[in-house]
Amino acid sequence: MLKIEHLTKIYDNGVHALKDVSFEVPDGQFLVIIGLSGSGKSTLLRCINRLIEPTDGRIIWNGIDITAATDEELRLIRRRIGMIFQQFNLVRRAPVITNVLAGRLGYTNPMWSLINHFSREDKLKALEKLERVGIREKAYIRADQLSGGQQQRVGIARALMQEPELMLADEPVASLDPATSHSVMKYLEQLNREDGITILCSLHFLSLARTYADRIIALKDGRMEFDGDPAEIDDKRFKDIYGEDAVRVEIA
Amino acid sequence: MNENSTPPSSRSALRRLLVVLAITAGVVIYAYGWNVTDISLDEVQDSTRQASVTRALRELLSPDLFARDRTQKIYQAPFGIGCPEGEADATRRDDLDGDAYVVFSPSCADPDDIVTVEGFHLPANAIASIRIRRDNDQTLPFKLVRKDGTVSEETVFDVDNSGYFNVQVKVPRGRGISNQTLPLEIQTISPAGWPRLSQTTNTVIEKMIETIFLALMATTLAVPISIAISFLAARNLMRQIHLPLGNVLVGFVLLPVGGLLGYLLLGPLGRMTVGWGEGLWLGLLGPVVAIAAFGAVARMSDRLTLNGTGNRVRGLVMNILLLLVVVMVLGALGGLFVWIGGQLTGSLTRYLGHFLGTLGQLVDFTIEWFAALGGALVLASIGATWSATALRGIQAPLSNILGAVLGALGGAILLAFTALIGTQAVLLGLLTAIVAALMGGQTLVLIYERVFDRPSVALRRRRREDVSAEQAVRSALFIVGAVITFLVAAYVLDLLRAIVDERPPSARMMDLGPISIRVYIAQAALMGAVLGGLAGGLAGAHTSFPLGMAIYNTTRTILNALRSIEPLIMGIVFVIWVGVGPFAGVLALTLHSIAALGKLYSEQVENIDAGPIEAIQSTGANRLQTIVYAVWPQIVPPYIAFTMYRWDINVRMSTIIGFVGGGGIGFLLQQQINLLRYNQAGVAVLAIAIVVSVLDYASAAIRERLV
Repeated sequence: MLKIEHLTKIYDNGVHALKDVSFEVPDGQFLVIIGLSGSGKSTLLRCINRLIEPTDGRIIWNGIDITAATDEELRLIRRRIGMIFQQFNLVRRAPVITNVLAGRLGYTNPMWSLINHFSREDKLKALEKLERVGIREKAYIRADQLSGGQQQRVGIARALMQEPELMLADEPVASLDPATSHSVMKYLEQLNREDGITILCSLHFLSLARTYADRIIALKDGRMEFDGDPAEIDDKRFKDIYGEDAVRVEIA
Repeated sequence: MNENSTPPSSRSALRRLLVVLAITAGVVIYAYGWNVTDISLDEVQDSTRQASVTRALRELLSPDLFARDRTQKIYQAPFGIGCPEGEADATRRDDLDGDAYVVFSPSCADPDDIVTVEGFHLPANAIASIRIRRDNDQTLPFKLVRKDGTVSEETVFDVDNSGYFNVQVKVPRGRGISNQTLPLEIQTISPAGWPRLSQTTNTVIEKMIETIFLALMATTLAVPISIAISFLAARNLMRQIHLPLGNVLVGFVLLPVGGLLGYLLLGPLGRMTVGWGEGLWLGLLGPVVAIAAFGAVARMSDRLTLNGTGNRVRGLVMNILLLLVVVMVLGALGGLFVWIGGQLTGSLTRYLGHFLGTLGQLVDFTIEWFAALGGALVLASIGATWSATALRGIQAPLSNILGAVLGALGGAILLAFTALIGTQAVLLGLLTAIVAALMGGQTLVLIYERVFDRPSVALRRRRREDVSAEQAVRSALFIVGAVITFLVAAYVLDLLRAIVDERPPSARMMDLGPISIRVYIAQAALMGAVLGGLAGGLAGAHTSFPLGMAIYNTTRTILNALRSIEPLIMGIVFVIWVGVGPFAGVLALTLHSIAALGKLYSEQVENIDAGPIEAIQSTGANRLQTIVYAVWPQIVPPYIAFTMYRWDINVRMSTIIGFVGGGGIGFLLQQQINLLRYNQAGVAVLAIAIVVSVLDYASAAIRERLV
């Protein structure tokens, strides 16, 4: 169970990115966060694993207050929260397998990392995760040689290496074409259904959100505008979230 | 400005006047500069100077590159001085050795007469002279006559490349040589064999190699240090590092304690392992066993699943064990190197032996200090980590009391340390006062916040309030506080005496129970305790302290200061230390390269893509792992490129570091210039031009490929 209580983030330049956001996510839910660019989706996700320090409010996960954790505790929390990114954020010059293995860093003694050493089990596990996202044969190719969709699958494999209980996905398909988008979303759905991983995913397109979400939260200017079932979003709600001028764009 | 101020016409007149005044002032300043720099055309036009510069340039551009063997040959032909009646033929041909011959016209002559001599089939490209051999075996040279008929003092002329010459010479005058036929000698000195490099060229090549390696050594020695520094001087990495003030202070207070413990406990261990290494077998065995044991323990401890405290204890134990192993291995390696250095004495292996032997000695000298540094860092980081849990959730009065106590301790240590540096030289004494001033300024701002209950600027900015006035007040208060503290510190520490009279601080001691302390340092420590206690107490132990930015600013300041000192000046100091020679140059260039590369590298770190850092951090990686997996792969190519660039610069600099005694080709160049041997200097200049342009091209090509 993830509990967000009165989460507020004000950046040093004065931008008020999140305003008193509170909600709860039960384990195993596929939650999609929608909203315009700059509505606070990325900030919200990054506050959960404290890549961004919240200004106010609490985040409680399985009874642990993430916002109060020391650096050391935070590392232990982070390693059970996977994250994938819009720009994939792979180390482009390193081979795919190294990128996937990086997901084990939280479990590895930092001294081994100095000489880029991972245990045999970790290496086998990395190949297994790559198998799962269907690109095992690319394991020893440099990450920047892959297509966008393949890179995002490497990102998913990296997050899976953490054996996460919670997965944060920050616009995972915004840089991909519609067909690839669906294939990446399908992998996330599979993780949610088969492995029971709770997923918090931010998306631009309502159509994608409706296809995959158990529940949708909409943010507008840092405030929660909607929280409910995907089917509840009608034209009026849509205009509330995206503004009067917005036109629905369907993604096949 | 409104209507009732000066009318437009007079305003523009005023404006014009101001412009005229500004231009006049500009011209005057420029003219003054012209005078100061002695720009004058008198010297330029002076004919002797013009002749000198022409000669110097001509010689510089005629470098003494090649040399050749020469053979000398003497041809003889009879020549009558004083013609008998009726024998003054128009011309006479005399056959010499081989198919060479000369033609005299006229065939005989009185002293002081002018004779035209033509030579055929003589050694090509020789230089030749004509002389007459007297009965007493002395020779008299024939002087050359110029085209206009005047007699020169020259006696040497050139034979052309077909072995032909045609000169007019004056028959010499001498006692007892009239009216007889004497042997006339034509001496030729001609090149023989293949041209080879001159002695100068050989020396220049030798020195050029020294120069290139001097630059290489300086660059490679600087690289590892610069890499370490570059992370500390990268804003994007350091900005995120915030720690509660209490943790920072605990760590800081533990620094000297850890240093002392490291020096006393680990130092002897390091020393002992150096001794093992020098005995070979223990030196080989010790580190292997130590590393294996550490690996086994690490593996075992990784298996244990522990709760929070257990985890921390494990971290502590592993850190201390690691430090032990590192000190042992380093010491043993050092000893081994010394041993190997002693064994390798063969003609080829000597270089390797010397290299390793010196490295071993370096370890031997520094192992105790290394142990102290390691101890300080490990204990400080342990202190900061362990106090994090203890200090969390600490409330107002206790937080402030703790802040005051820790602040007083930290301040005392900091200022005592700067005072210790300050005892070394007059100007260094300022350091204490400057650090105290910074603390004083901050304290005054904190007092203001407390007394008037003002929230911090960051908080107000978050509330979207206008903070410019508030910030101005704070800045003003900071300056006032800093100035006051500086003056007080200057008075207490008697800086006037130090700076004006150039006297070191007083060496008066005072007894505190069993230990005696220098009063000067005690005063500084007391001042630090007061300031630190005030600041720490006002801020409280829970306040977030931007440790990263503090380190960043300190590193940047030191780098900038180092970079502003020219390597030539550093060279002078190092020549005093290690004597004239390339080693002094290596040290000077290394020091300068550390500063320059540190800055270039850190800018590369600042330019990297932040995405992978986020991704690696989100997996639970710590800072070290984040650097290895997210930062390092991104900076390797630019680092290589900038290292090449720096090597290129170092080659340029090492060509002139010799002017202050730093070795390399500059030393040779300076000697030759001082001896006015411009032909030889020309070779050095040419060599520098070639090497610099080749390296310039190569480094540009490599950089283009990598960046």
